[in-house]
Amino acid sequence: MNMKRPLAFLLAAGMTLGLTACGDPSQPGSSNAPASSSPSANSPDSSAVTLDLWSFNIGSFTEASNWDSILTAFNDKYPDITVNVTPINYQDGDQKLTSAITSGSGPDIIFEGPERIVGNYAREGLMVDLSDLWSKSGSDIAEGISSVSQLDGTYYMYPLSAAAHCMAINYEVFEAAGALQYIDEETRTWSTDDFKAAMEAIKTAIDNGTVSVATPGIVYCGAQGGDQGTRALVNNLYSDYYVTEDGTSYNANSAKNVQALTLLKDMVKNGSLSANASYAAAEELQAFANQTCAVTFCWNYSNYTQYAEQAQFTPFAMAFPSDDKVPALEMAGPYGFGVFDKGDQAKIDAAKTFIDFVCNDQTVGTQAVKTTGFFPVHSDWGDVYAGDADAELRAPFALMSDYLGRYYNLTGGWTEQRALWWPMLAEILTTDADVQTAADNYVNQANANIK
Amino acid sequence: MAHTSAAAAAGHKPKKSKQSPHSGMSKALIRRETISAYCFLLPSLLFFVTFVVVPMFICVFYSFTEYGLGGVKGFAGLDNYLKLFQDPIFHRGFLNTVLIVAVAVPTVTAFSLWVSSAIYKMHAIPRSFFRCVFYLPVVTGSVAITVVWKWILDPYNGILNQVAGTTGFDWLGNQRTAIWFIILILFTTSIGQPIVLYVAALGNVDQSLVEAAQVDGATKLQVFWKIKWPQIMPTTLYVMVITTINSFQCFALIQLLTKGGPLNSTMTIMYQVYDTAYRLNDLGYACAIGVVLAIIIAIFSAIQFKLAKTDD
Repeated sequence: MNMKRPLAFLLAAGMTLGLTACGDPSQPGSSNAPASSSPSANSPDSSAVTLDLWSFNIGSFTEASNWDSILTAFNDKYPDITVNVTPINYQDGDQKLTSAITSGSGPDIIFEGPERIVGNYAREGLMVDLSDLWSKSGSDIAEGISSVSQLDGTYYMYPLSAAAHCMAINYEVFEAAGALQYIDEETRTWSTDDFKAAMEAIKTAIDNGTVSVATPGIVYCGAQGGDQGTRALVNNLYSDYYVTEDGTSYNANSAKNVQALTLLKDMVKNGSLSANASYAAAEELQAFANQTCAVTFCWNYSNYTQYAEQAQFTPFAMAFPSDDKVPALEMAGPYGFGVFDKGDQAKIDAAKTFIDFVCNDQTVGTQAVKTTGFFPVHSDWGDVYAGDADAELRAPFALMSDYLGRYYNLTGGWTEQRALWWPMLAEILTTDADVQTAADNYVNQANANIK
Repeated sequence: MAHTSAAAAAGHKPKKSKQSPHSGMSKALIRRETISAYCFLLPSLLFFVTFVVVPMFICVFYSFTEYGLGGVKGFAGLDNYLKLFQDPIFHRGFLNTVLIVAVAVPTVTAFSLWVSSAIYKMHAIPRSFFRCVFYLPVVTGSVAITVVWKWILDPYNGILNQVAGTTGFDWLGNQRTAIWFIILILFTTSIGQPIVLYVAALGNVDQSLVEAAQVDGATKLQVFWKIKWPQIMPTTLYVMVITTINSFQCFALIQLLTKGGPLNSTMTIMYQVYDTAYRLNDLGYACAIGVVLAIIIAIFSAIQFKLAKTDD
């Protein structure tokens, strides 16, 4: 029997299935040794515990070395606990985590926000109850942050810092286009009509050659990265919510949200905005830094520090425009820690010790908070940036925290609906689709996953 | 040899020799050589079994389960497969995948054969130069390639819009154009290997047959179809099968350029496997999609083998 043909089929099938069934070989902790920033001075003994911490690239926690001073301080006090840090990012972090968790090689601790820690992992029964940490030191943490750190009354995340997502404008372009009149520079707010007028003024300035940007603004709808910006833009324009009050339904098809989507569609049609189905937030931010567009809908202090060197202009942080000039911003974070339940009580205890130290020790905690670039969740800590050289630059972002709105990111089916939001925007803004119909379709599909 | 070539030139299949390849060898020698052959095969076989065959069976098993981040929650029976029939994203992904294969395979095969025909008779230096030029995208990282294409196709600062005078047009964000640019970029990254293979295959065509046919008054087209084409058929089959598999598995370009959008216009089955597994964490369903993709590829490969009518 000629074996070449069946062997060829087997190869073809294997090449396909291998990708599905194999864990990603590039995942942290497998073939690639994790970037360790743990002190090596510890002499292992019977009580020694080694923890794997996977840290998303929040603020300056982009490299393992940025944890060094925190880990050194921790090991001065707890020499028997070694923490290996593996930095992961939002581009492929989910893939790495999924591969690692399903293959049993996941981390002990994760540094992220409630969307993943509570919404994804705790919901799957993978996380450890951290209620004891909350009982001990969580009394001065705001109710809004406390509520999103728990699921069904059990705390699965312990927070470190939080902030608000906002948007930003190119101050010089606005000035040259005569659009500064439409913003309140003190409160950094503007109305929907002001926003519309400002964008039209910039469009006119582009047409006249007064300013050199290519478009007033880009509504990005090419991927889910940075979708908090487009969510906040739509929800604020006519002061509605992303999810209904009782959390039982997504809300893009409400009269006010459809009005907002229609306004954006009209603005795209008349050129006072662009909509790009090949852009995600990263591309839009780069376009903002390159002065291709005059506003960005995805701004916070972390992005400010990332693009500050490239931007040859003043990025002026603004709240999202709303009809009543009372914005409701989406929370950036709160970022904190969760512990995976791997059945090892010694590791769980050590992980809680580490989290308690980083989040509740004010000296080290302040350092960690500053590394994230956001603001501490402990109200007792006050202004941790006071006296710093960049305190003035951070002030606008502190102001944005006053405009925080409801946190809806733990609504059931959140992960699934994120895959539906940006295609809906693309359908509305880049095709002739009927706004109400597209929004209804989105809500129907998104609601199908609410459990 | 002369007999075989003449038969091939005449359009007849050479008769297979009934003589065993081991004729004249002692049994001990045959056994020794067989053992040696298996020893040489063993490392790659172990790798293949461990990382391809075993995961393949694991994948088939998981496709019948409700498998998420928290592990296997239960037996799903055929639910994951039935879900495929009702999943509009899968339908769109299937059609896009077939479109990519249907366009990419013939164009890659024809273009690489055309280029190879033009360069295989060249002097060594220009031949190597062209091989390098066309092979460069193969050895260049897909990330680098997509970054360059992103620059070219950028709506505001892209070269294409500058040249075409269509500033602001979003080639990758437009439902009608995005898939064609995916195919174009896939094409540029797929032709390198076939060209190298065809240059080698054309160089190995028996020149005595070509000359004999030319002496008999055969036209260039006749020489190609009657002499060269049958002799490069194994290479053509290999190129078609490999290009088909690569086209079916087109993933990196879509992940880096369009994420399956806009509005699923560049969604492929392969990308849906990834998206379902790693973003939606529905691993059981992802496995089912992977199994179906494997079956589709196997069917396409079988058709290609059948059409090529070869045992190689």
